[in-house]
Amino acid sequence: MSLEKPSRDTALDVGVTEDGLDYDALADLLGGHVLDREEHLNAEGFVIRPDEVQEVLSTLKEEAGFDHCACVTAQEYDDRYESIYHLRKYNDPTQELSIVVPSPKDDPHNESAARVYDTADWHEREAYDLVGIDYDDHPDLRRILLPETWQGHPLSQDYNQDQPQIVSLREHANPLEDDKRSEDDPDTMFVNIGPHHPATHGVLHVETVLDGEQIADLEPDIGYLHRCEEQMCQQGTYRHQIMPYPDRWDYISAGILNEWAYARAAEDLADIEVPEYAQVIRTMAAEMCRIASHELALATFALDVFGDFTAVFQYGIRDREIVQNLLEDLTGQRLMFNYLRLGGVAWDLPEPREEYFEKIRDFLDDLPHKLEEIHDLVTGNEIFQMRCVDTGVLSPEQVKQYGATGPVARGSGVDYDIRRDDPYGYYDELDWNVVTEQGGDNFSRVLVRLREVEESARIIEQCVDLLEQWPEDDREIQANVPRTLRPDPDKEIYRSVEGAKGELGIYIRSDGTDKPARFKIRSPCFSNLQTLPEMSQGEYIPDMIASLGSLDIVLGEVDR
Amino acid sequence: MQSAPLPETLANLLGLDPNSTAVMIVMSLIGAGLIGTLMMTNTALAGPWAKRKITAAFTDRIAVDRIGPYGLFIIVADAVRLLSKELIVPEGADRPAWDLAPLIIASTALLGFAVIPMGNGIQLADPEVGLAYVFATASMASVGLVMAGYASNNKYSFLGGLRAVAQNLAYEIPLILTGASVVIFAGSLQMSEIVAAQQQSLIGPLPSWYAFVNPFAFVLFLIANLAEVGRNPFDIPEAPTEIVAGYQTEYSSVYFVLVYLGEFIHIFLGGAIIATIFLGGPAGPVLPGIVWFLIKIWGVFLFTQWARSAVPRVRIDQLIEIGWKGMLVLSLANLLLTAVIVGVTV
Repeated sequence: MSLEKPSRDTALDVGVTEDGLDYDALADLLGGHVLDREEHLNAEGFVIRPDEVQEVLSTLKEEAGFDHCACVTAQEYDDRYESIYHLRKYNDPTQELSIVVPSPKDDPHNESAARVYDTADWHEREAYDLVGIDYDDHPDLRRILLPETWQGHPLSQDYNQDQPQIVSLREHANPLEDDKRSEDDPDTMFVNIGPHHPATHGVLHVETVLDGEQIADLEPDIGYLHRCEEQMCQQGTYRHQIMPYPDRWDYISAGILNEWAYARAAEDLADIEVPEYAQVIRTMAAEMCRIASHELALATFALDVFGDFTAVFQYGIRDREIVQNLLEDLTGQRLMFNYLRLGGVAWDLPEPREEYFEKIRDFLDDLPHKLEEIHDLVTGNEIFQMRCVDTGVLSPEQVKQYGATGPVARGSGVDYDIRRDDPYGYYDELDWNVVTEQGGDNFSRVLVRLREVEESARIIEQCVDLLEQWPEDDREIQANVPRTLRPDPDKEIYRSVEGAKGELGIYIRSDGTDKPARFKIRSPCFSNLQTLPEMSQGEYIPDMIASLGSLDIVLGEVDR
Repeated sequence: MQSAPLPETLANLLGLDPNSTAVMIVMSLIGAGLIGTLMMTNTALAGPWAKRKITAAFTDRIAVDRIGPYGLFIIVADAVRLLSKELIVPEGADRPAWDLAPLIIASTALLGFAVIPMGNGIQLADPEVGLAYVFATASMASVGLVMAGYASNNKYSFLGGLRAVAQNLAYEIPLILTGASVVIFAGSLQMSEIVAAQQQSLIGPLPSWYAFVNPFAFVLFLIANLAEVGRNPFDIPEAPTEIVAGYQTEYSSVYFVLVYLGEFIHIFLGGAIIATIFLGGPAGPVLPGIVWFLIKIWGVFLFTQWARSAVPRVRIDQLIEIGWKGMLVLSLANLLLTAVIVGVTV
C-alpha cells in the first residue's frame, strides 16, 4: 500500500506505545516539571512553570522525539496569560503534546523556546506583538506584524479597538531608513529589497546586507499585509460567518484547502460527522486547488529565474485556468470559493453530472502532455539547472528546526504529509504517493511541486470514479448541524490539514458562545519564510530571489 | 557591388559638385539624417509594437490589437504617453552625468550605422577601418550604462551599472576576436570589402557568406552579441526580478525613452554587424539590397526576442565564467585556426 510510511523509528522515544502516546510515561519523564495536566481535544496539555520552558522542551525534543514545534498560541484569560507550544513529530504528527505555560496577569513573561526550536523565534515575536507576553532570553524580541510604533497589543483584553493610533510624523519619517548594520563594515552595502520589488510576490520587505553581490546578512520583514485575520475569526460565528474568510488567507487559488483547515478543526471541536459523499467531493475540490496553486507556484518561480513574463509563466497560467474553470463550475466562484460548510459542502456537483465528469477527465487526460511540455521547457533546460541545482540548499535538520512543512520540507527529503500521516477526508481510502526529493535545493522544490501535481491528478481521478458510481439516493452532502453552533465551554483543539504550502493548522478555544474565544492560525508560509536567511547566506542576489520563489509564500497567509 | 558612399550619390543626384567640401558636408548631414530616420523608424516599429507581438506569439497571447490595423497605432499612443510623463529627477543625482547617460546610450549606437553598407548605395562612409569603428561605437554604450548606474544615486542602478561593466568586459573581447577572424578571411577592415569578399559562390548556388564558411565563428558571435546587447540569457544588467531595472531604474519620461531607444538601436546595430560580416550584407536574390539587409537585421532581432521568451537568465558569476573561461578560449582558438587555414590556403 502506497500510503504506508517507509520507516517509523519513533518506537525508541519515551511514551510511544502500540496504541498511541502514553502521556503518563511522558509526565514521568518530566517529573516535577508538570504542575497540572489538561485535556485538549487533540492531545494532553502539560502545564509547566514559566521559567522552565527551555528545560522541558529540550527534554521532550531529545528524549521523547518531539522534533516539530508546530505552533505557539498565546492568549489572555481573565486571571492569567497563557502560551501553548503545540509539539508534534515529523515522523508521526498524530503523536502530539501541548505544553501550556501560564504567566501572571500583571507581568506576563515566560522563558523563550527559541533556543530549543528556531521556529519559535517568529512565533513568539508574534505572540508578543499581538497578545503582549514577554519572552525572556528571546534572541530578538521585537514586534513582527505591526509597526514598531504601534501602541498596545491588539489581542489582549484591555486593548481598545476604537482608540486611534497617534504616532508623530518624526517617529515614522522613514521606516525604510538605512540600517546601521552596514556601517560597521565599509565593504558591505545595505539594500532594501521590497516592500515594492518585482520579485517579492507581494509586499515583503527583505533587509539585505550585501558584500559585493553576495548576501552577508538578510532579514525578512513582514507584516505589510496584516489583516487581523485571527481577530476577524474571533468575531464571527462558527456556523456561518467564519467559513467565507479562510479563502482570503492564502488567496492564490488554495481557498478550499484553507476552508478545510477551519472545517476540520471546528467539526472535531463540535463533534460533527461529515457524510462520506461530501468527503469525496471535498477531497476532489481540495486537490484541484492544490494543482492550481502548484501551477502558479511554478509559473512565478519561472518568472523569477527566467527574468521576465516569459512563455513558462503563460503556460502555467494557461493550465491553471482550466482547473479554475472546473472549480468555478463546482463552486460558482473563481477564487473566493466559500464552498465548504461545517458538516459538508454547500451543494452537490453541477448538473448534468456526466458533462462535468467529462470535463474533469479531459483535463486529466491532457495533463501528462502539459507537464511533459513544462519539463522540456523548464526542468530539462540546462541553464535552469545551472541556476537551481545546489542553490538555496536547506538540510533536513534545518527544515525541522524551522518547522518548515509542505513541498519545502519534502524537497529536503523530510517525508511529512498530513494527508497521509494524520488522515482526514477520503485520503486514506485512495491510492497515491507522498512525493519527496533529497536535494534540498531550489530544483528539488520545483520537482516536488511538479510531481505532486501528478499525484493530485491521480487522487482526482479516483474521486471522479467514486462519485460517478455513487448511488443516487445516498448522495448526502450535509450532516445535521444545529443552526447556531455552541461548543461546550473551555474545549481546546489544534487541528491541521495539508495546505498547498504545508501544514495549515487551526487552534480554537471555545467559551460556550457561538464565537471562538481564541482562534489561532498556524500558517505554513510563516514558518517556511523563516528559512530564507539560512538558505541564502553567502549566495548571490539572483539565488536569493530564486529561493524566495521556491518557498512559494503568499503574503496574505504570512501576515494574516 | 562596390558603390559610391551615400553623400556622393546624393550630390550627383542633385547635380552638385562632389568635390566641393561645403557640398559634401551638407550632403553628409542629409545622408546621416536619412539613415538615422530609417533606423529610428525600425526601432519605433520594434519597441512598442513588434516586440509585444513577437513575445505574445511565443507566449500564447494576442497583445496590442485595439488601435489601428494590427494595433499599429499603439506606436503613436505610446510615444504620446511616454513623452507626456513627468520627468522625475532623483534626489542626489549626479546631474550632468545623469542627463548625459541616456544621450550617450542612444546616440553611440546610432553612430555605428554610418559605415554599414545597406545596399543600393546606402552607406554614409566607407573608411578603411570600418569594422574597428563599428566595434568602437558599439562598445561606447557601456560608458553610458556606467554613467547612468553611478549617477542615479540608487543602489539598484549602481549594481546594474557594475554588472553592465563586468558583462561587457567579459563579452567584448570574444566578440571582437571572433570578428577579427572574419577580417583574416576578408583581408580588410573596410566594410564594403568584407561584403564584397562574401559574394563568390561557395558550393553551387550557396554564396560564401562567412556564416557558411565558418559556422563556428557565427555561433560564437551570435552568443557574444546577445550578451553585448543585454538580452536573455544575458539580460543581467537590467534583471527586472533581481535589481528592479538595473541602471535604468531611476529614468522616467523622455530619458526613459532615450534609454529604451538606445537599447533597441543597439540590438539593430548588432544585427547590422552580423548581417554585414556573416550574412553577406545586403546580398540576396530578386529583392533589392536594402530590403534584404532589413530582413537580415529583423531576423537577428527575432532571434533575440525568441531567446528572451524561452531561455532563463544566468547568474552574473556564471556569465563571467562563461565569458572568460569559455568564450574567450573558443574565440582565440577560432582566430588561430582561421589564421592557419587562411595562411595555408592563400
